[in-house]
Amino acid sequence: MRKAAAAHEMTASGHALGRTEATKARLNLFETIRPYLYVTPALAFFGVFFFFPIAYVIYLSFHDWSLLNLDEIEWVGLANFTALFEDADFRQVLGTTLIYTLSTVALGIGIAFFLALWLNRKAKIFGLVQAAVFSPHIISLVSVAMLWMWLMDPQYGLLNALLEFIGLPGYTWLSDTKSALLSLIIVSVWKGVGYNTLVFIAGLQSIPRDIYEAASLDRSPWWRTLTRITIPMLSPTLFFLLVINTISSFQVFDTIYIMTQGGPVNSTNMLVFYIYEQGMDFYNGGIASAASVILLGIVGLLTLLHFRVMEKRVHYR
Amino acid sequence: MKKVRVSLLACAMSITAILAGCGGGNQQAATEQTSGTSGAASGAQQQTADAGKPIEIDFWYALGGRNGEMIESMVKQFNESHKHIVVKPSYQGSYYENHAKVLASVSAGNQPDVTMVEVGSIGAFADAKVLQELTPYTNGAEEKYIPGLMGNSYWKDKLYAIPFNRSTPLLYLNRDMLKAAGLDPNGPKSWEELREFSKALTKKEGDKTKTYGFSTPIDIWFYEALVFQSGGNILSEDGKSLLINEEAGVAPLEFWTSMLKEGVMKAPPGEKYNAWDVAKQDFLNQQVGMIFTSTGDLRGLKEAAKFDLGAAFLPANKSYGAPTGGANLVMLAKSSEEEKKAAWEFIEWMTDTKQTIPWSLETGYMPVTKEAVESEEMKKAYEKEPNFQVAVKQLEYAKPRPMVPGYKELQEVIMTEIQRAVLGQASVDEAIGKAMEKGQKLLKK
Repeated sequence: MRKAAAAHEMTASGHALGRTEATKARLNLFETIRPYLYVTPALAFFGVFFFFPIAYVIYLSFHDWSLLNLDEIEWVGLANFTALFEDADFRQVLGTTLIYTLSTVALGIGIAFFLALWLNRKAKIFGLVQAAVFSPHIISLVSVAMLWMWLMDPQYGLLNALLEFIGLPGYTWLSDTKSALLSLIIVSVWKGVGYNTLVFIAGLQSIPRDIYEAASLDRSPWWRTLTRITIPMLSPTLFFLLVINTISSFQVFDTIYIMTQGGPVNSTNMLVFYIYEQGMDFYNGGIASAASVILLGIVGLLTLLHFRVMEKRVHYR
Repeated sequence: MKKVRVSLLACAMSITAILAGCGGGNQQAATEQTSGTSGAASGAQQQTADAGKPIEIDFWYALGGRNGEMIESMVKQFNESHKHIVVKPSYQGSYYENHAKVLASVSAGNQPDVTMVEVGSIGAFADAKVLQELTPYTNGAEEKYIPGLMGNSYWKDKLYAIPFNRSTPLLYLNRDMLKAAGLDPNGPKSWEELREFSKALTKKEGDKTKTYGFSTPIDIWFYEALVFQSGGNILSEDGKSLLINEEAGVAPLEFWTSMLKEGVMKAPPGEKYNAWDVAKQDFLNQQVGMIFTSTGDLRGLKEAAKFDLGAAFLPANKSYGAPTGGANLVMLAKSSEEEKKAAWEFIEWMTDTKQTIPWSLETGYMPVTKEAVESEEMKKAYEKEPNFQVAVKQLEYAKPRPMVPGYKELQEVIMTEIQRAVLGQASVDEAIGKAMEKGQKLLKK
């Protein structure tokens, strides 16, 4: 844009020799401001709905305040943060969130990768399967959670009916502290795998055929083709999925709210649900803000880490 | 407590019954409306002439489904008979969702003028000066309400709330099952009888239990009930210390865990209101002979049950006892004087004998005025369905829910630890000890 502007100016100065230095300077100033003017609406939007809330929640995290009485807000320094880290329940919440994130990301991406390899074919039936696998993605998470609650009902649920049909004892699913987290992970993977598969298939289809042709001419075995060609060529896709899956897993809320309310005995209480509970149910605004800042920090750090460590291995074309 | 959803889902369990019931209910309300307005119309017109423009007030409520429709139609009736006031009702989700929205709106300055507050939270709201003290507006009208329902209306001796949709836990019985087992169809009167009845009703097939005698959601509300029955309290008089490590606090947990160990009681799986649904489902499917649940479920369960359903007092330990529950109506401190006057007129009308009788009969919640309980209409209804009277009779033994400002968080802490014991992950003493330790820390905050 700037080049074009400069060229325009050159021809302009060629024609109108009498133009003064002042007008030129003014024109230059306008040219420097112009791009910012264009992004102002977007920037204002981001400012009001993203940057300001982030700054404000950081401000609030250093205060003791409650939704009950917003006029009384008191500076407490780092007290909210120390209270959180001294609280065994909060440490448990963090631990559960980490286990959940690791499991859903690993399973969600792993399963999707193999599904994509299998489904990346021309026949109609594969398109159909692909549509079926993708369909959970377009259903509201609330409906998904309700659906799985019925399936996982220990007495009347379909899953236990099936287990009993093949002669196995019924499983406890959401009703036991040992199995509730696993049940949430299953739901999340089921919901997310279709989207991941679709992105992988798109990635696979953009790999040029000739590389594979060359590989097969060289009689490269399938696993070497996979590790030396497919995975490196897919690495940008893989990286993208890794980042967005990690972020969304960390922010799990709907399924917990509907299916377990953090229970039984806090076994499925994770960060965002904890924040909601503290802020909205218990009126501990300061604690909720501090936990939000911690969430922001963790997600930010993880994303940064992904970029630092993983991006070096990503092969962009 | 999510009694809103509980009763909503109880309704949903009997879809056919609902369809019939809803249709009937609306019709009834509609006829009442037409007959009610004609008389009041002349008076209302006069008032409009004096007051000029009608005052608008916002009313936020937290009951969905059939009960919510009932509220909407009551408001409509009010608006038609009070031309100088326009009440704008809006549904805000469950009790606690409504609480959060009300608080947010107070800080934003667009708060409602009247809303429902769950009885255990009145203290928190009054303490934060969100609520308007009612005494200047009532002219002594608070005398007309049933005293047993007023316990959660006062905070530091000042009146802040008027009972509206009020419930209490009851013991529901499958009388057919009790008779078949040769038991008294009026149900057990004491904890020991409850245990004996449960043993007699429990049926096993191999290692699998086909029928359990008794089931209750492991919920703070029922724990409170059992503590009251044992002659104790959750909190000390001044609300500063937790008393659940006393004998009366330990006994309920020992009772439950021993019944579970004997295999005659079932702790329904699921969290919060999910567990309530399971208990009710089991009861309707006759897989459980007796359950604890709210009076608010009476209508729904009665219509869905394919057996002779009975309601009884919760069995006594040292005495009978039960908490009350549900929500009260409150006014907000930030409203203007004019709005407050209109708000009080609305609250008084909503909870008056004429309104509370159909409200109670349609929903199963208790009537809130003394006059209503004594009325011919109520007596006739009770004669026809004695189950509906049980809750009101039990009020004699009822106590208010604890309501210190931090009780919502405290009750979660207690419930979590109790569940640990019920699931067998901790002994009764360990669970109570942990709950005490965490609870005391909260109360000191």
